[in-house]
Amino acid sequence: MAATLLLEHVDARTRTEARVTADLSEARDRELVQRIERGDEDAFRGLFGRYAPSAMALARRVARQPFLAEEIVQEAFLAVWRNPSGYDQQRGSVRAWLMGMVHHRAVDAIRREESQRRRVEESMVSDPVVSPDPADDVADQIDLPEERKAVRAALDALPDEQRQVIELMYFDGLSQSKISEQLGLPLGTVKSRTLLGMRRLRGAIGGSAR
Amino acid sequence: MMRDHSRIEEFLAIRSIGGLDPQDEAELEREMASHGPDCQECRRLQAEYEETAGRLAFALDPVAVRDGVAEETFERAFGRAEPAGGRPGVPARRRGWLRPLVGVAAAIVLFAGGVIVGTAVTGEKPNEKTVLTFQSETEPGTLAAAFTPGSSGVYMVGTGLPPLPEGKVYELWLFTGDTPASAMCAVPTADGAVFGFSDASLEGVGLMAVTVESSDCPSAPTTQPVFTAEVSA
Repeated sequence: MAATLLLEHVDARTRTEARVTADLSEARDRELVQRIERGDEDAFRGLFGRYAPSAMALARRVARQPFLAEEIVQEAFLAVWRNPSGYDQQRGSVRAWLMGMVHHRAVDAIRREESQRRRVEESMVSDPVVSPDPADDVADQIDLPEERKAVRAALDALPDEQRQVIELMYFDGLSQSKISEQLGLPLGTVKSRTLLGMRRLRGAIGGSAR
Repeated sequence: MMRDHSRIEEFLAIRSIGGLDPQDEAELEREMASHGPDCQECRRLQAEYEETAGRLAFALDPVAVRDGVAEETFERAFGRAEPAGGRPGVPARRRGWLRPLVGVAAAIVLFAGGVIVGTAVTGEKPNEKTVLTFQSETEPGTLAAAFTPGSSGVYMVGTGLPPLPEGKVYELWLFTGDTPASAMCAVPTADGAVFGFSDASLEGVGLMAVTVESSDCPSAPTTQPVFTAEVSA
């Protein structure tokens, strides 16, 4: 009994510390964006240094071409520099906003590619989400271990069939109809699995940064 | 009474991760338009699913950004070439604190002959056995680094150091130009002694600095240095 209470206490404390860390981190990001609005170049460099490696990971995962990924990351950050007021604090965290821009650009890019089908077939054979590409250098300068842990735990907690459709959509850039076709599932099943999975993720990670 | 948002929610969830087909996108727009621009629930759902989707990116391990990418991005943003030495991951504001310290930090080179660091300072060429004592304007105690110039490996040895707050460590940084690289983290014992070793290369290192950091040893300094030592060429 005492051991259980102690574990609960430690767990609660850990969650509290993680939350405080996330809040401080988000406050710092918002300050950077405010400074970018005033034309502060150092703030832009700071935001780039903090998030470019994560943005690059996402762009490379979705686009699967390093040079295309670099262009996507550049364009996303330039959009921040040119229009920092595009960030709306009421709609979420800076990091989610930034990664959203990277993701949209990456998805748009691959949907223009003729070779999408081949990449999809390759990606469905292997390539789990959290396995790093051995050719990639892990950028040690990112201090977001709690964020990564929380997101991975939330994904791992999903039923396999929900995680599968979400990963195919988000990390492989497939549309709902493509997934339906690839997996041989009714479109309605793909939609419902996506919704159920995203609801769970929203409960785990979707509201904590606001 | 709140209107039904189940259809909108499904569309928003799928759109947030890029999976919505064009015909469903059009239907979503129509549905949301029918709720009006002031629909709080629509806005809440949209914000929360976009937040969720954006954070999914952090499931991936970060990927190092090629050196030229940051410079190109800054050039395109600021409309001019970046000065040499800029580096992504170390904002200029952070690097700024180093410049005055380079001139201030006085290096005292001793030939300790192994008294402090044992094998690190034993060898046949006395001029290769270098111990630098760090300078500090704020911290009591003595901190030194021992190494062989041009070779890999550095020891950090300290005595009489003050206790650190819980969860804090001393972190040694090796600077090549303006660029810091973490060499090691160490925690002083109860009597203020500290000892650590890193096999980091000393090639090109012009300055060593020690900061107080969190125990996860960040890979870029987050605080002002408490000890510094300039490394002779």
